[in-house]
This record gives sequence, C-alpha cells and structure tokens, in this order.
Amino acid sequence: MRGVLILLLGGLGAQAHAANVSYQQEVAPVLSRAGCNSGACHGNLNGKGGFQLSLRGESPSTDLITLTRDTLARRTDPMHPDDSLLLLKATGRVGHEGGPRFSLDSQEYRIVRDWIAAGCLDDAPARPRLTRFEVTPASQLLFEPADHVRIEAQAHFADGSRRNVTHLVTFEPTAAGIVNIASDGTVTRLRSGELNVLVRYLDRQVAVTLAFLPKRENFVWVDLPLSNPIDRQVYAQLKTLRLTPSPPADDATFLRRAFLDAMGILPSEEEARAFLKDGSANKRERLIDSILARPEFADFWAQKWGDLLRNEEKSLDQKGVRVFHQWLRDSIASDKPLNVLAREVIAARGSTYQNPPANLYRSLRDPYSRAEAVAQVFLGIRIQCARCHNHPFDQWTQEDYHQFAAVFGQIDYRIVENKRRDRLDAHEFAGDQIVFLRREGGLKHPRTQELLAPRLLGSSEPTKESDPLRLLANSVDRVDNPFFAKAQANRVWYHLIGRGLVEPIDDFRVSNPAENAPLLELLAKSFADNGFSLKSLVRLILSSRVYQHSASPAGTNAEDDRHFSKSLVQPLEAEQLLDAVANVTGTKLKFDGFPAGTRAGQVAALAQERRSKKSAEAERFLKSFGKPERLLTCECERAEDVGLSQAFQLLTGEMLQDMLSEPENRLGRMLKEGKQDAEAIESLYLTALSRYPTTEELTRLVAFVGKAKDRRPALEDVMWGLVNAKEFLLRR
Amino acid sequence: MFVDRRAVLRVGGAGLFGLTLPALLRAEESLKARAKSVIFLHQYGGPPGQETFDMKPNAPAEVRGSLKPIQTKVPGLQVCELLPRMADVADKLTLIRCVQHTMKNHNSAGYYSLTGIAPPSDDQRLRDSIDLFPAYGSIVDKFAPNAKGIPAFVAYPHVIRDGSITPGQHASFLGKSHNPFLFTSDPNAVDFRLPELSLPSSISPERMESRKEILKLIDGQTHLLEESAVAQGIDESYQKAVSMLTSKAFKKAFDLSEEPESLRDKYGRTTYGQGCLLARRLVEAGAKFINVYFSEFIGGPKGGWDVHGFDNKPMDPILKSYLLPITNQTLPTLIEDLNQRGLLKDTLVLWMGEFGRTPKINALAGRDHWPQCYTVLMAGGGTKGGHIHGGSDKTGAYPALGQARPEDISATVFHMLGINPETEIRDRLDRPLPISRGKVIEDVIA
Repeated sequence: MRGVLILLLGGLGAQAHAANVSYQQEVAPVLSRAGCNSGACHGNLNGKGGFQLSLRGESPSTDLITLTRDTLARRTDPMHPDDSLLLLKATGRVGHEGGPRFSLDSQEYRIVRDWIAAGCLDDAPARPRLTRFEVTPASQLLFEPADHVRIEAQAHFADGSRRNVTHLVTFEPTAAGIVNIASDGTVTRLRSGELNVLVRYLDRQVAVTLAFLPKRENFVWVDLPLSNPIDRQVYAQLKTLRLTPSPPADDATFLRRAFLDAMGILPSEEEARAFLKDGSANKRERLIDSILARPEFADFWAQKWGDLLRNEEKSLDQKGVRVFHQWLRDSIASDKPLNVLAREVIAARGSTYQNPPANLYRSLRDPYSRAEAVAQVFLGIRIQCARCHNHPFDQWTQEDYHQFAAVFGQIDYRIVENKRRDRLDAHEFAGDQIVFLRREGGLKHPRTQELLAPRLLGSSEPTKESDPLRLLANSVDRVDNPFFAKAQANRVWYHLIGRGLVEPIDDFRVSNPAENAPLLELLAKSFADNGFSLKSLVRLILSSRVYQHSASPAGTNAEDDRHFSKSLVQPLEAEQLLDAVANVTGTKLKFDGFPAGTRAGQVAALAQERRSKKSAEAERFLKSFGKPERLLTCECERAEDVGLSQAFQLLTGEMLQDMLSEPENRLGRMLKEGKQDAEAIESLYLTALSRYPTTEELTRLVAFVGKAKDRRPALEDVMWGLVNAKEFLLRR
Repeated sequence: MFVDRRAVLRVGGAGLFGLTLPALLRAEESLKARAKSVIFLHQYGGPPGQETFDMKPNAPAEVRGSLKPIQTKVPGLQVCELLPRMADVADKLTLIRCVQHTMKNHNSAGYYSLTGIAPPSDDQRLRDSIDLFPAYGSIVDKFAPNAKGIPAFVAYPHVIRDGSITPGQHASFLGKSHNPFLFTSDPNAVDFRLPELSLPSSISPERMESRKEILKLIDGQTHLLEESAVAQGIDESYQKAVSMLTSKAFKKAFDLSEEPESLRDKYGRTTYGQGCLLARRLVEAGAKFINVYFSEFIGGPKGGWDVHGFDNKPMDPILKSYLLPITNQTLPTLIEDLNQRGLLKDTLVLWMGEFGRTPKINALAGRDHWPQCYTVLMAGGGTKGGHIHGGSDKTGAYPALGQARPEDISATVFHMLGINPETEIRDRLDRPLPISRGKVIEDVIA
C-alpha cells in the first residue's frame, strides 16, 4: 500500500515539473543551441549515426516522435531520465562523434532532463505562442580596449507575458575567428573585425551587427564639403568607424576606371591625352555624361544582363541570342526604365524570335528554375534553399517557395521547330518557340500532388488572378515592394564599386543586413524617383567623391575593404582584359559568326560550334579568365581570380605572343609611320595605362630599345611588359 | 582499455563472421592513410566486366560471350584470356565486383565516377556548371596542397566529352586555383612538350629575362604590390608559374626521353601507354592526384569502351584488336613498374569507368549500358592485393555479395589519402557538404 502511495506521489511530482518545461519553447531550442539539429550533424538529410532531426528544428513535432518513439524509445527514458541516450550522448558519457555538447551541471542539461523526467510531453495546445522576439543591442561598435558586449534576447508571448530567453537562443557568428560567444550571450573579441551574430529562437532570427575595431588613435576627421548624397552617407559611417577616406584618384586613374567600369573598354591614346590636358574644373562631370551617351555603355550593360538572363546559344540558338542581345542593348541605349525591362521579361510570352524577352522562359524550362531566377535577379532573394526545407537564414518557408513557383506553373511552349544538331541533347533548341500561358492546370505540390495556389513572395493570400505572372510583373515597382529597387540599386553599385552594399548581391535577407543601410535606402529611392533610370543611377554613383577615391590607403583605412573608404582593386573581367590586350596590341579579335573586329564585350553569346582556330583561342582565353557559361542566373558564375593557367597564358601564351608579333599590329603601324622610340613608348603607355611613362620608365626603356639589335622585338617586349603589369591587369 | 559502445555492438554483429575483438582493433590500426598519390585511369565508355575482370564462363552463351577466362595465381581470381599480363600482377589487384548505381548515360554517370556524387538527374547532356561537384583531385588540392612548383592535381591528355563536356573534371565551386594542371598534348608525340612549360619559339630565355625586367620596372611605379591583396595574389600565381617554368623536377617529369626505350615500348607507344608512364614520373615528382583519361570519346576509333555494336561494328573485334590489347599492355606495366620502384605501396592505382555493360549481348553483337553492377579495379596504395571484394550474380547483372556505390569508392580513395571523407566544403549557396557521401570500404584496405 505504501509503495503505491509513493509511486503516486512520484507521479504527481513529475506532473508539476512538466508544467514548467515546455518542449516547443525550451527543449527544442536547447537542441538547436547545442547544434544537434545543424546541417552537419543530425539535421543532415540522412541524419548522423541513425539519428535524424529536422534541419535547425524546423519541425519540432516530427522531432518529438524521433526523440520519444524511434530506436525503441532508447533516447528518452522518463523512468531513468539521466540514463536517456540523448543525455548520455550530449554530455559525452558514451562515445559521441559530435563530442560533448553540454555538461551535466548546465542549464541545458537541466531543461532536457526535467522534460524527460516529466514524461516527454508536447506542449498543451493552449500554450501561448511567441508573438515578438527582441534582441539587444541591434548593433554595436567597440573600439579597443572595449572587448566584449552582451547580447540579450526577450520573447513576448500571446498572453502578454515576456521572458528573457538569452539562455535558450542559438548564436551564430557569420564570420569565424573574430569572436567567442559564451552561453550567456557575452561576445568577446578574439581579433579585430566586423561580423553579424544571428540570434535564433523558434522560427525567428535577428542579426546583431558588431564591429570590434582597433583604437585608430591617430584618426583625425576632416570635414569636407560634400555635394553628392552618397558621400554624405558613406562619410557619416566612416566618421563613426574612425576611418579616413582616401583622397581622390588622379585623372589618369579616374579616366581608366570610369571607362572600364561603365563601358568595359580602355580610353584611347587620344582620349587619354585630351583628358589629361583638359584644365577645366568640371571635366570629370563632362566625361561621365559623354560615357553615358556612348554605344559602348549599352554594349557593356547588355552583356551584364545577358549573363544574368542566361543568353546562351544552346537553348536560344544563334538567332535567339542575337535578338535577345539586341533587345537588351536597345533597352539600355534608350535608358528604358529597369522596372519596365523587368516587367517585360517577367510577363513575356509569344515567339522568342519576335518578342526577345520571352527567351528567359525559353532557357529556364521548369517553374522552379524560373521562380528561383526571377526572385534572384529581380528581387535579390535566393529562395532556392526553401525548396527542400524552410530557408535556414530567412523568413521563407517551403510553402512560400512552392506557391511562388506556382506563379510560373502555367507557362508552356509550342516548339515551332527544332533543328538541333545533337538529337540526344535535351537542352539544345534551334528554331522558334512560342511561350504561352496554359489556361488550365498549373504546378502541383511534389508531395501531395495537389494543385498549388499561386502566391507572391511576401503576400499572405494566394492570388485569384488568372494571369499571376502579370500580377508579379506589375508588382516589382510598387512603392510597397521592398525588394526590387534595392536589389537593382545594389547590383549597379556592385558593378561600379566592386562590392555590394549587400553581399552576395542577390541575397537580401534579415540575417544579411546591408553594410550601410541608409545608403542603400538612398540609392533605391533615388533610383525609383528617377524613374528607375540606369543612366541616372550610374551618373549619381560615378560623380560621387566615394567613387572617385584613390585605391591607395590613407590614415586609418589600410585594412578597410567594406566601407568604401578607398577604391577597390580588382582584376579586369575576361572580356575587358581580352579587349584591352587587343586594343594595346592593335590587333583584331575574331569570333565565329560575328564580323571581324567585334570586341569580346560585344559578342551576344559565344558560339556552340567553333570553326576557326582564332575564335577558339579567344574563347578559351575568355572562359579561362572567367567568362560565365550563363547557366546560372547569378553574377557569382563569373570568376575573375587569376590562377596558374591564367598566369601561363599571359606569361608564355601563344595567343598573346601572336598578337604581339603580328606584323601589321600597332607596333608595325607605328614603325611604318616612323615614330621614334620615345614617341612609340609614350603612345603605348597612354594606350595601355592611360598615363605618360615616368622619367625612370622612359629613360630605361629608351635605353633598352636603343641598344637592341632590332628595335621591333624590343618594343614588343615593352608591350609585353605593359599588358602583364599589375597596373594593366587590375582596375584600381 | 576503453572500448566504446558502438565498437562492442559492431563486434557483436561481426562475431558471426568470426571477427574477434583483437582482430577488430588490429583492423582499426591498419586503417591509416597509406597512399601519397592516386593515379586515376578513367575508362570512359564503360568497360564490360564480362570481358575483363568479372568473367562469367558458366553463364549461357549470350551472356558469357566468346572470350574465355584464365586463372591467375590468386585462387578464384580469373581474368579475360586477352589480359594474360594482368594475370601476372593478380596478387597486386583488388577487384570490387559489386559497384552499382542508377545513371545510364555517359555524362551523368561519368560525372558520378569523377566526383563520387550522384548527379541531380540522369541527363545525357548534363550541363557543366559551378553548381556541380569538384573533381577528386581538386578536393585533394584543397586539403592536401603541394608546395610550389609541383601541382597536386594533374589531368591529361583529354577533356572528356560525350556531346558536351562531362562535368566533374575541374574545381567547380572550389575556385579556379584548385583546377587541375591540365594539358591535352599527346605524350606519345615525338615532339611532346607542354606549351605552358616552354617559352614560345621566338622567345629566348634571355629575352624572357629582359621582359621580366621591364615588368618589374612598370610594377615598381605603383604601390599595388604592397597595397593590394589582389595584386599580391596575381603576383603569387606568376611566381608559381615562373617556378614551374624553371622547376627542374616538374619539367623533368615531362621529359619522357629520359626513360629507356625498352620501358617506353613496354608501356606501349600509345597516348595512353606513354600517359601512364608519365603518370609514374609525375608521382615521382610529387603530384598527388593524376587523372589519366583513357579516351576523349566514349567509343569509335581510338575511343573508349562504349561497345554497343552500333554502325555495324560489333563488340568483339574492337575488344580483341584494340581495347583489350592496350589494357593488357599498359595497365600491368604500370603496376609492375611502380612496384619495382617501391612506389606501389603508397600509390593507389584506380581503374574505373562510369558503368558496366549489359549481361546479355544484344542483337548488334554488343553490350549496352549497365550501371546496376560493374567492377572497379584498385592496386597499391595500401589496398590488399590479390583480393576480391563483393561479387556479382551468375550473369553479372546485380551484386550478389556486398554492395558499393561510387560514393563508397570516393570515401575509400579520400580515406587512403588521409583525408576524412566527411570533411566539409561549401558550395555556392554556402551549404556545408561532405566531400564524400559514402562509406569507406574497409575490406579492401590491407
């Protein structure tokens, strides 16, 4: 009898405990915090060691079954809670490949143990839900000697209650090695650096921006009269960060930079001479205006859009890539507002020959890839993570993803003809296609096979619209669309400055805040106010003092590469480089299917089939230096890094050697004109580097050529030196 | 002595097969990295096991084909009668006779064989993009890079393609710096040399020197080299390239004329034969992962193993006149040569195609694609030798004993090189991905 009573009492005690520990709001967060459900551990698609949790605990109810029923319920033992496999493993009392996750005397241990002891119960349905999640501070600058800051997290629940949940949240730094984060939320500096700390609780996450900075003792701020609004925003940030802005770049550097960034080409010798000689105060503004009006501006930005919109020959065929490129080029040349361009692409249908923007849906042949591409290119959102699981760093759920994909679910094709060469290649099309919208049907949910209701990202209700694409197309430039203007402004900023305000540039999310949020707001607003004009935005950026900074460090900014205190040094893009080499050597490139002399930057898309050796050589060069295949709707497909094979091509490559030694090239012409060595060298310098040779350079090179048996090879060597110089290979 | 819980469980299970605890512990000890280098002889097209290393003499005529097996010195290990020299090195071979997957097209299966990662779809013209996985050698270059002058990953003499380039031959999202040192010149050519490692004909070494002087002069005018990490990176690549241009060891590796004529003849005066000889020299020079592609194309004259019998070209004559003789000449020569030089113990030779071929000979007197069961050959580098892992059923249609997938091959190869197969790399979306998703085939490790 007494035994029964004790049992009963024991049972009551456990019940009392259960009321205290919530599975959903405490235990599940502890498992996240301990890293159990991370992608590398049990959150992996295949789990680890036979134990699989939902990724980052996105499905606590499934995990509950796994924890309490799976593996003969060995993981949790309410009778002997301390002997539960879950706790034995997590504390390292039995071998655990992931090592010990928390200690026996930790709060984490107590929470899980008490919950098990109480019978591993799920929360009562009536338990108040999380309504708001607050993290402080939102951001913090810490100058040495300050070396730590404490992050606190508050959760607000539906019943009005509020709890400090700092001990339950997961902290995730976005950069390794800068800080150490203790379990109570204290972030301690390991070395100087800037990072975001993502703080996650249940389905919420907040980014805390932290900067641990050196003291920058010698920092002196000098106020400058600033007329461009970009400068005001950047300089305000530089001042708080105690970063000195670099002085303006000299004329030669600015000229070469502006030409490369806005048109992808080098200034000619004559342009360089004229600009350097010009003594007027507004010569930079006049130069910018002239650049915006030039046809090369349209060539260059059409190429960028061609990269993004997958203008490639295998899917679009020879005619397709040309009409699409021409359409993009004309759109840029006439400064078609980018919202109109976006609208025309998103809502496009009809013959891909007659209506070129329909070509995006010709190359992207299923609703998922179209949805991902449109989100990434036009809205700056990478939703693809949410295809298989809720987006781990953003708000997007699987449902958001699939319903957004359903917006593209009715697109279909009529293949008018297909004269492809390779009948086995399902990616190859040659001939016109008609893109149209099916009246019936749409995208089915891959699991339930039910027809999905199309829903735009960020909207809570599915649309009843019979043409959801048009709805999407018309929504890009609405004032309440938080994505389009910012994403486009960020992209243009990235192309001109070399680094996005948000990086990666098409990855906008709460957990990836902009480097300078007010500046991004400003650019987006100015862009929208100016009717989404690309040229206005480019003019605004190019005329800022920030754009015109020198790349050389000044004051405290030597280490800075993210706050725009100095110009960023970057390798030339493949097309820029090849065109520049052809320009300096005075030779013509050859691309099959295009007239001789077509620049690399003007080619609509590389041909699938190559006939001439010269074209093959040039294309190999371009690919090797990172010209993208255009298989992804992402700037990241272009890889400009110079590796070994690139170095070999410039050092000893036969193509370059042929260009240098071609009898009729620039050198040949100069010699025929009877130019003296000094004149020839000066002219080569202005062509390659947009500057005059220094006295040292001129003296030594004239001597070098002068004592050579034959001046032609000696001048070729000078040309070789120029195109291999860092100053030539880099934009600075 | 500490024995973990799982080890005890494992012993419990393994006990059935007579593995005792001490034996298990011994096994643990021997699972150390053995291989310093891997020579991956990629057999494009898909070799038939029934005519090479998994003969089926007792099967019906339409399965066993016309070729007969011969017994080797290793009991139970038979090879095709047209591979008699393979019989001589049988004690060095490990045959994995139970490899399988589900990709039936050359490009998708080829990618699988080159990376150990299943392609997203069984696509005949799987497009090569930086969403796909890097080649083995690129991963090796990332986690076990070589010192200056000798690249870790070398690939030659083709870029393999079937209609379009087969993905899996470069570094993909790991970045260009991990691309292979790739060349497509023929090592069997009389004037074989690497354009990369030689100056253009009109440029004398003295002229190169003066060019470098001019470059130094111009680079000296700006502070880019002090101020910019990008400039330093380019300079480093240049230095590396120059050091290879001038590296005696690496350049020497390519000078096949240093080898005795008799040995060159023994390897075979073919692109593949001299390529394998070159592979040995590259191993000696310190390269870590060498992809030698047997053929550029899946089939056709001088092509690979794709013997469907199409175009009135039945399988047998191609096998008898080309594929088997060249294999019989080159593969055993490489294994013997490595062994005689004491290199085989730490060089893993991996001979593998993208799939096997149908058990039943088709109406065109050929065999079609068959990924459900095929044989992978390994030698050296810490593998057992004279060993067969797993086995196929009586027609070679499916594994009857054991099962291995391409990811298990990749796990085993990485493991042999001392790289943990669970090591993570990050793709374009920054997802953490293990370099292999398979299990180490412990049974093949000596």
